Amino acid sequence: MTSLVVACSPTNYLDNPTYLNSRYNDEQPALSGNGRFLAFVSNRYGNRSILLYDLQQQQLIPLPGLNQRNTIAENPSLSYTGRYLVYVIGIQGQPTVALYDRATQQSQLLTQFYPGWVRHPSISPNGRYVVFEGSSRGQWSIEVLDRGPNIELDIPDSVLPGTSAAPSP
Amino acid sequence: MRWIVLSAITLAGLLSSCTGSPRLLEYPFDPGGRSLNSLASQLNPRIAGRYIVFTSDRRGSQDIYMFDTVDGRLVDLPGLNQLNTVASDPAVSENGRYIVFAASQDGRSAIFLYDRETRQLRNLTANLSASVVRHPTISADGSKIAFESSANGQWDILVYDRSGQPLSVPTEPR
Repeated sequence: MTSLVVACSPTNYLDNPTYLNSRYNDEQPALSGNGRFLAFVSNRYGNRSILLYDLQQQQLIPLPGLNQRNTIAENPSLSYTGRYLVYVIGIQGQPTVALYDRATQQSQLLTQFYPGWVRHPSISPNGRYVVFEGSSRGQWSIEVLDRGPNIELDIPDSVLPGTSAAPSP
Repeated sequence: MRWIVLSAITLAGLLSSCTGSPRLLEYPFDPGGRSLNSLASQLNPRIAGRYIVFTSDRRGSQDIYMFDTVDGRLVDLPGLNQLNTVASDPAVSENGRYIVFAASQDGRSAIFLYDRETRQLRNLTANLSASVVRHPTISADGSKIAFESSANGQWDILVYDRSGQPLSVPTEPR
């Protein structure tokens, strides 16, 4: 009988960041506007996390500071070059839309003021607008959030700091 | 177009103090179903460029709609919504030409690509009819499509190019 019990050797995904698909559920794909990056939700690390995959280099890209212990982040969406990533996170039991900026490696909450539940955010390719489902009208409605004219837009050919030899001003 | 800040004086103190605080835009609400929001439900919005695609049951079946935020009205999608299918999870390319969505018909699921220029619908997953496929998305430049498949007994992510050819993505051996 013991020979029938074959333990699957756990894969250290941190050492093997090349798989898009693991032996666990990999869900909710979101493509960057240029088609190079794919954000998704994976169970491979033992907690449900948002991961970012580079389809060109065929490897996972770290997202430092995004996935926090004891919370679940879901429903990712990416801007044109993958600089901005919006997602839903539970803040004290309240689903909230958050925005992660890969340039600063920091997250910002976008809908703390919103009087209702939120789900399924999507960010415009240039990063300025975020649409999501909101419950404030007693029905699922579409809300459109404007991050304002002063944000740094994510437009074609813009480059993340530290990812190329682009000259700094 | 009216761009109105959601004014909530009592909540103003909760707004972040960052410069350019996010604000909600308000598009005309139409109970007759000719605008972005109606009395029915609006689900799974995705934005690319000037377009927002979403599903709504405002006409008694769950259909896909596309709203033009510049013109402030719905865009016709002739031939996209079929009487005998439930359509869900649409996504649109930035130029508004390509829309991918999941469709369920007779207990089977499929991912369709709609070309607004030719008004043609194409089933991208005819060879995956034994498995469930869901949650499609298309890149804003229209070059790639990704979705979930249950073919391996769990959810995996497949990536196709727009012509319907699967891209080879590294998958852990089982």
